[in-house]
Amino acid sequence: MLAAALLFPALAGAQAWPSRPLHLVAPYAPGGPVDLSARLLAPALQQALGQPVVVENKPGAGGNLGADFVAKSAPDGYTLVMGAIATHAINPTLYANFPYDPVRDFRHIALVVQVPNVLVVNNDVPARSVAGLISFIRKNPGKIDFASGSSGSTGHLAGELFKQVTATDMQHVPYKGSAPATADLLAGRVHLMFDNLASALPNIRAGKVRALAVTTLRRTAFLNDIPTLDESGLKGFDLTTWWGVMAPAKTPDAVVERLAAEIGRAIDAPELRERLRAMGSETPAVRTPAQFTAFVERERKIYGELVRRSGAKAD
Amino acid sequence: MEILNNLLIGFQVAMTWQHLLYAFIGVILGTLIGVLPGIGPVATIAMLLPITFNLSPVAALIMLAGIYYGAQYGGSTTAILVNIPGESSSVVTCLDGYQMARQGRAGPALAVAALGSFFAGCVATLIIAVAAPPLAEVALKFGPSEYFSLMVFGLVAATVLAHGSLIKAIAMVVLGLLLGIIGTDVNSGVLRFTFDIPELSDGIGFVIVAMGMFGTAEIIGNLELKDKREIFTSKVTHLYPSKEDLKRVWGPVLRGTALGSFLGILPGGGALLASFGAYTLEKKISRNPGKFGKGAIEGVAAPESANNAGAQTSFIPMLTLGIPSNAVMALMIGALMIQGIAPGPQVMNEKPQLFWGLIASMWIGNLMLVVLNLPLIGMWVKLLTVPYRYLYPSILVFMAIGVFSLSNNPFDVLIMAFFGVFGYICVKLECEPAPLILGFILGPLMEENLRRAMLLSRGDPFVFFQKPISLGFMVASAILLVLVALPAIRKKRDEAFVEEAK
Repeated sequence: MLAAALLFPALAGAQAWPSRPLHLVAPYAPGGPVDLSARLLAPALQQALGQPVVVENKPGAGGNLGADFVAKSAPDGYTLVMGAIATHAINPTLYANFPYDPVRDFRHIALVVQVPNVLVVNNDVPARSVAGLISFIRKNPGKIDFASGSSGSTGHLAGELFKQVTATDMQHVPYKGSAPATADLLAGRVHLMFDNLASALPNIRAGKVRALAVTTLRRTAFLNDIPTLDESGLKGFDLTTWWGVMAPAKTPDAVVERLAAEIGRAIDAPELRERLRAMGSETPAVRTPAQFTAFVERERKIYGELVRRSGAKAD
Repeated sequence: MEILNNLLIGFQVAMTWQHLLYAFIGVILGTLIGVLPGIGPVATIAMLLPITFNLSPVAALIMLAGIYYGAQYGGSTTAILVNIPGESSSVVTCLDGYQMARQGRAGPALAVAALGSFFAGCVATLIIAVAAPPLAEVALKFGPSEYFSLMVFGLVAATVLAHGSLIKAIAMVVLGLLLGIIGTDVNSGVLRFTFDIPELSDGIGFVIVAMGMFGTAEIIGNLELKDKREIFTSKVTHLYPSKEDLKRVWGPVLRGTALGSFLGILPGGGALLASFGAYTLEKKISRNPGKFGKGAIEGVAAPESANNAGAQTSFIPMLTLGIPSNAVMALMIGALMIQGIAPGPQVMNEKPQLFWGLIASMWIGNLMLVVLNLPLIGMWVKLLTVPYRYLYPSILVFMAIGVFSLSNNPFDVLIMAFFGVFGYICVKLECEPAPLILGFILGPLMEENLRRAMLLSRGDPFVFFQKPISLGFMVASAILLVLVALPAIRKKRDEAFVEEAK
């Protein structure tokens, strides 16, 4: 027994895990969707593991501060991070002197939320479809603006990809967050926006803005009658906003497996499922740590390329 | 008559004992975190969110709203007693409130702040009930060019904020503007003045600067007064405002409420401007502007009414458009979304219980706050008789905890210490911190809106003069500038503001 414990110290430690409270770092300010889902997940995880799970906000540098903090924490399974598309796919290319490797410095445990973006236009824009929008943009060269929550956000990059694929010209107008961008979209000062589904939904349902397409390969259950961009002729257009739980790179396998299983169970449980759905999230297709790592790797490539081509940077 | 019907629905919802209880818990918590320097409503509401998931949406929103405006009340308490603005809205309250406390008039200052806030809260609640949807349309009329012109007007008007030399005031405003642009440029994503320190890439937090410049600097300054510092607070004359005080404040309260209610509906930083604006206005129209900054009760009444009115009317864009005006509103939207309710244009029709229940509970919450706060004044004033050698270390500890809790980062505490020392140097040089704070708040907003307006107009500077609202503010700013520049009036201004006899 003793020999076994000496031979596999990681395993021996893992058997006792968790013996003290866990920290789940949300690399953004309180109240945002990443923070909210961390706070939703924490109680469920706490119940499953029998140890308190404390959500800790470490905002700064587009989420990089919090993610970097966890990348350099002890890999003992007690410090986790809600890593997101920004911290693990977009920022590594967006920021110069990036402090960590989003793939090699982490164990990717479980994808928790995947939210589509939706292409919404102001009601005064005459287009009723994506094709109509493209011809509207072509008829008004240099006059069309698209808003986004920030430079380098998924909304911005979706717009840049749209421009590339359709060979159209639009001007990007960045805001500080989705809310002020929505205000200018409602008022008609900007023409369109690739907004997060959850924040766009109320105004779509109230008829204040018009949804033309979603950015995912499959239609979303929330807007069943709205086509995908892929269906609308932009073949292969597939962007989602996502985030999930990750740990430092050398976290033992046993801990990763256990966490993955418990988080999977938690997000499948009807109560949490309902709450996450209310945020516009569908059940993620990525279900295992190995799939998640492959997913992060793929996303990192796609967005790295997009950021480079869009010329966006933060350095 | 529909409005009465709606209010009736609201009061039926809000008057149930559970909802009264949640409103009460909310305002108590809010007052508490408002009084504790640095621990703001954002962190508190974030921590409480998981609890609200198990409440009904109405109860959750009533409690969170209670925390929000409770914090506005509580924030003014520390501003008046120990010169620490816990919230952006109470910075201005420090100017005259703390001076009143030093003169032994902390009681009247606190009472006037509470009563003014209550009055403003009642009026603003009525405004929401009567005119929320049309006002939301007004808010949408404010685009980048309108915001920019409004802020130009604000900055020009702010030169009267200082009661020292005009040159120094302008220098402090400019320094504030420069400090405000530290961080990531919104348009290009380029990092500015960050010296490769990742913590600076989102800029410096407002609360950190304000607590350093006011609170820490004040403590350092007090250490100088070896003999006097133990006694300056003990000569408390009377707890409640005199008849004369009340006669002086009703005008400022009315004007503050009006200005605050209007600015509050603008989601892009309007509420922030409310207290600064109200103070400036009072000083401008006062027959005796020299007494501002030296314990003028009007200088407490106007900004306190304005910030509370603004705090309430800032619910309008959230409830009617789903657009949060500040971080607290964003949290409330988050809480509602998790409950399956997406705040937006339909909430009013689809969930009248929620909408009107919240409005009714705002009024009830304000009443609770006044009932809660007036008897507490005696206790707060007693706090000032605690010997300074015990009081200031505990204040420093609370400030450090509060600042650390903003983003769980010790770096922020160092920044506060830095601004404490810097603030002390400014006091020595007779440079006022308030213009710096105003520049710090307005600078980034102005730049952001200027550049956005330029983007949208394809670089046409005349856009600021083509839109009627924007043009109006520009003309008003120009008139104000001329007034300041005119020699005759300038002389008058100098008499009133420069190098007042000490």
